Amino acid sequence: MIMKKIGLFYSFASKKTAKIAGIVHNAFSGEDIQLINVDEVKKEKFLEFENLIFGVPTWFDGELPNYWDELLPALEEIDFSKKRIAVFGLGDQKGYAENFCDAIGIMVDFFEEKGAVIVGKIPLDGYTFEGSKAVRDGQFVGLPLDQENQARLTNGRIEQWVANLKKEFN
Amino acid sequence: MIRHKLQNMKVLQDIPVHKIFTIKNTDKAILEKWFYLMTLGRMIDEKAPNYLKQAIGWSYHAPYAGHDGIQLAIGQIFNRENDHLFPYYRDMLTNLSAGLTAEEIILNGISKAADVTSGGRHMSNHIGKPEWNIHNVSSATGNHTLHAVGVGRAIKYYKGKGVVISSQGESSVSEGYVYEAINGASTEELPVIFVFQDNGYGISVPKKDQTANRKVANNFSGFKNLRIIHCNGKDVFDSMNAMTEAKSWSLENQQPCIVQANCIRIHAHSNSDRQDLYRNDAELGYVQESDPLLKFKRMLVRYERFTDEEILTIEEKAKEELKVAHRNALASPDPDPASIYDFVIPEPYPASKYPDGLHNSNGAKKKLIEGLNETLKAEFRLNPDTFIWGQDIANKDKGGIFNVSKGLQKEFGPSRVFNGPIAEDFITGTANGMSRYSKKIRIVVEGAEFADYFWPAMEQYVEMTHEYWRTNGKFSPNVTIRLASGGYIGGGLYHSQSTEGALATFPGIRVVYPSFADDAAGLLRSSLRSEGPTLFLEPKALYNSPAAATPIPDDFEVPFGKARIRREGTDLSIITYGNTTHLSLKVAERLSSEGYNLEVIDIRSLIPLDKETILNSVKKTGRVLVVHEDKVFGGFGGELAGIIGEEAFEFLDAPVRRVGSAFTPVGFNRILEAAILINEEKIYAAALALLKY
Repeated sequence: MIMKKIGLFYSFASKKTAKIAGIVHNAFSGEDIQLINVDEVKKEKFLEFENLIFGVPTWFDGELPNYWDELLPALEEIDFSKKRIAVFGLGDQKGYAENFCDAIGIMVDFFEEKGAVIVGKIPLDGYTFEGSKAVRDGQFVGLPLDQENQARLTNGRIEQWVANLKKEFN
Repeated sequence: MIRHKLQNMKVLQDIPVHKIFTIKNTDKAILEKWFYLMTLGRMIDEKAPNYLKQAIGWSYHAPYAGHDGIQLAIGQIFNRENDHLFPYYRDMLTNLSAGLTAEEIILNGISKAADVTSGGRHMSNHIGKPEWNIHNVSSATGNHTLHAVGVGRAIKYYKGKGVVISSQGESSVSEGYVYEAINGASTEELPVIFVFQDNGYGISVPKKDQTANRKVANNFSGFKNLRIIHCNGKDVFDSMNAMTEAKSWSLENQQPCIVQANCIRIHAHSNSDRQDLYRNDAELGYVQESDPLLKFKRMLVRYERFTDEEILTIEEKAKEELKVAHRNALASPDPDPASIYDFVIPEPYPASKYPDGLHNSNGAKKKLIEGLNETLKAEFRLNPDTFIWGQDIANKDKGGIFNVSKGLQKEFGPSRVFNGPIAEDFITGTANGMSRYSKKIRIVVEGAEFADYFWPAMEQYVEMTHEYWRTNGKFSPNVTIRLASGGYIGGGLYHSQSTEGALATFPGIRVVYPSFADDAAGLLRSSLRSEGPTLFLEPKALYNSPAAATPIPDDFEVPFGKARIRREGTDLSIITYGNTTHLSLKVAERLSSEGYNLEVIDIRSLIPLDKETILNSVKKTGRVLVVHEDKVFGGFGGELAGIIGEEAFEFLDAPVRRVGSAFTPVGFNRILEAAILINEEKIYAAALALLKY
């Protein structure tokens, strides 16, 4: 089965997230994957894809970055019920252990409520933290990455995640 | 709303916040008001340092930029008819949002006489408006949490319709009194909202050096009856929703709530701080990028709630208001230096029935403890707005560590007479707070089990002495602090020491120390009927002493600042108070048999002091012995001797001598105690030496 096209949404102005987005993009090589800058995106762009990947770092003590936070109200009326969404995000397990990658959980909450099917969930193994909105039923609802403390694990985690997404995406 | 009475803590903290306000559904007029306030506030915030640069004033400015969302929200949910607000020094937008004008903010900043907070007496950026229940708070940051709890107690007692909002930075939560305050609000279930504006720093100290939790509100997650809400203090809608939820929660459940608002500090702590010494460029860059005002403006335009032109018009309007406010504030007069003695302490109850605090009653003698107990009961019967609390104060037949308040709870009920926790600062601070609710209220606290346990309450004691002056006469805590003082009971440290030498150094409080039952009753009545704070020191060794027992007229009053000549004489004046009045009278009696005629003056009231009676006595006898139980060095006698030396030197035939206790702590072993505390022999020896000088 041919995978339908994928939209990879993240801020082109970001540094670490953009770098990770590049690795994710490469891991999907051969698939129809488009990079979209959320700093400038119009809501209609989200309608073009059935498979969506969102890159979202956690800011401060568990918040969305402004560019996502300011965008979400525009997406409230969109029906995501036929879409599969995967979220990756950057966090810091040591410095911000109480809110490790909360932004992933905030995004998932929003899009789940809009009917999306969330894919790309992973087990908690290998992470050490105190709390996270990204954890549901004993697993992460997206892919947390920790460039501050576990950078060496990032490539392997992305590889594994993308391999799973290839099975879970439409 | 369901009352979550039997909830576990997790449930209370997991209740979702209702999303009432969003960028799409909020009425345009409301959005305009918010944007106007935020724009005007930011203009003042940015202009404030210029006043210092031009040497006009505003030497302390703590910029609020980065706290915009939560401060707007605090002010917006505050209703001055029923609520009380305790803003902290960074809460400029909070005040503006609560209704103060730009001109009022600037008048505070440049300390003009018309400053509604304090008439230029309090530090800039400490903004409030007491007549609107926006309280003028201390620079001892966060200590107003205790006052907030006190007001919460009053709201609950009087069934008020409002809530109390206390605001502070996250670093000041480290202060012990904040934990005492929140513990009290949780125990008493009071409608108090504690807002922690978390910008990550206490001046230069990062929050990791304050407490283990990054979100300090979570330190309180084990407290019962307490809801904790986290919000993004940089975001207008998240902050409005959080504060709206907190208020409705506290009102409906009559329980406290913490709102921790994540903010950023865009600028330095204040204009005396250089943040480039401890924050790197990357951090300074991302806080700039997260500017809440810019985010709000972007949202207003992005979601087509306002056009760019409309935004510009609002900004121009704010600019114009600031220009006028600036001009008016500059033209406003400075405070008059001749006014410094205004509002140090309110005029006391006049005690006109017994203007000299003397009586001729021949009734049955009552002990000092009975005098206190019966006066408390009489005043509580007379004034329904009287309250008493302290440690050990009310449990069945127990009424205070020495049973002074015995029977009060039975007669007046547990809402007016109740135990406080073992937290002296809380006991004292909530008294200050509760008395803010109404001028009618009179509060008595047993500040500590024993006077020398009072030290943890020192910061609230000091605070109490500042209030009337600092608010330019707008608020006075009407509180009587009772302390069982002194030794001669074999109590040792924390049970036997005298404290008045230290406690009488603060302008803004009356200090009395009776030594007989009638004076104790009369002074207590005056304290309970007066505005302003009174420190009421009770010689515990005399509570049940037959020597201190006297007849007491039912309505006896002793005005403040009236000494009592307990024994008239011509050869030597002993100036004394408290326990040593009795020792001095015995010495006078003994010397009388040796042919000397001593005068003994019980000053009764240290502040205000009856200088006239003292000086008249000195003029008559020409010899003065100052006697008190407290240490000679640093004791109140130094003031007495100084006044006499300055104002009656030419009448003296001998140097003024002082006798008191040794400059040591008070020992527990009776032998040590006797060696340290002043006694009859020491007074006798000193008096005789003076008589023979």
